[in-house]
Amino acid sequence: MDESPAPDEHLAHLMARAQQGDSTAYVTLLRAITPRVRQLVRARRRFLSESDVEDVVQEVLLSVHAVRATYDPARPLIPWLSAIVRHRLADAGRRDVRRGAREIGVDDLDVTFQAPAANTREEMFGDPDALAQAIQALPPGQRQAVELLKLRELSLKEASALTGMSIAALKVATHRAITSLRRALRGIDEG
Amino acid sequence: MNTDDLIDQLGRDVTVARPLPAPGIRTVLWTGWAITYLVVVAVMMFTVMSSTGVVPTPLYLVQQGAALITGIVAARAALASVIPGANSRVWVMPAIGAGVWGLALLWAGVLDLREFGTLGVSGESDWPCVVSMTVGGLVVGAPLAWMVRRGAPLTPGRTAFLAALAALSFANVEACVMRPHVFALTVLLWHGGTAAAIAALCALTGSRWLRWPDLATR
Repeated sequence: MDESPAPDEHLAHLMARAQQGDSTAYVTLLRAITPRVRQLVRARRRFLSESDVEDVVQEVLLSVHAVRATYDPARPLIPWLSAIVRHRLADAGRRDVRRGAREIGVDDLDVTFQAPAANTREEMFGDPDALAQAIQALPPGQRQAVELLKLRELSLKEASALTGMSIAALKVATHRAITSLRRALRGIDEG
Repeated sequence: MNTDDLIDQLGRDVTVARPLPAPGIRTVLWTGWAITYLVVVAVMMFTVMSSTGVVPTPLYLVQQGAALITGIVAARAALASVIPGANSRVWVMPAIGAGVWGLALLWAGVLDLREFGTLGVSGESDWPCVVSMTVGGLVVGAPLAWMVRRGAPLTPGRTAFLAALAALSFANVEACVMRPHVFALTVLLWHGGTAAAIAALCALTGSRWLRWPDLATR
């Protein structure tokens, strides 16, 4: 995707046409501002994962759509857009803080189930060091697939864009990696 | 949903969105409504009582003038605060206006003390004015609330506070016309207290009635 910024006058003109109901101009505008919004979000929230960045970008686009009547075509578009990005980022930050305060990470709960059938071998295994070592021992392609898809929880499309691997190749690599990890960890567990 | 798909969907959903008039123009429209309301109240008072009992001393006129100016600049600030990229320091002017109003009342209180030997704090309660300001604030503030809701709720608490301050500044003038007070400190405590309490309540609940449109359903 072309990440070079479009001139502000052109964007303002597109928005003015979009306000008149011109769908083509509107889509062109949204495609032109999306890389800039993405760039702003990444710059202000460096710790966000790609999927979180994309969530904020989509929220900004929806907000632009909702309040497009507040844009004055006589003024530059970028300060208007930047203000929306800034406030939506702050909203997202506040929401995350609230959510963090109310929710408990289920992964951290030290619980098990009484029924023997519920206590599978995978659930009982809990040595993160051994898991980390097993991941490190994987071939580079498989290791990358596990890290992106399972640890960073990217989508197949996002992982494909990052690595240059096809979606099918990623699926195969992940499947082989999981099989290898299961075998390696079972060996540790039984040993 | 993928971002490209979202853009396509928004493109299909786009309709004509007439740009909002500038905050200054919208302020003039709202001020016209608020002043009309004040004139109607004053005319009714003259019709019913043939006089409002108001003694328009220079200090009284400064108080009412400061309240009116506070209302106008607070409305301007509220309307600007829902425009992305507008000047974020517009709240400074309402703060100055409210400060002048408060100082004029304090000075009037000093004059009361010299003339009557008391500030009149314990002698006069003002619950009817609390009701009058609340009702007047609702009548004057409802159109302003509708106007700010058409904008972007970037800072809902601040916007709600400014809108309430604007409406209550006009409602304060209305209450002063309908029910003149002997002591200035009564006005400062009861009218100022009512305005501060309602504006604070609006600021606290602002995020409930100034929200982004339901984006999930778009």
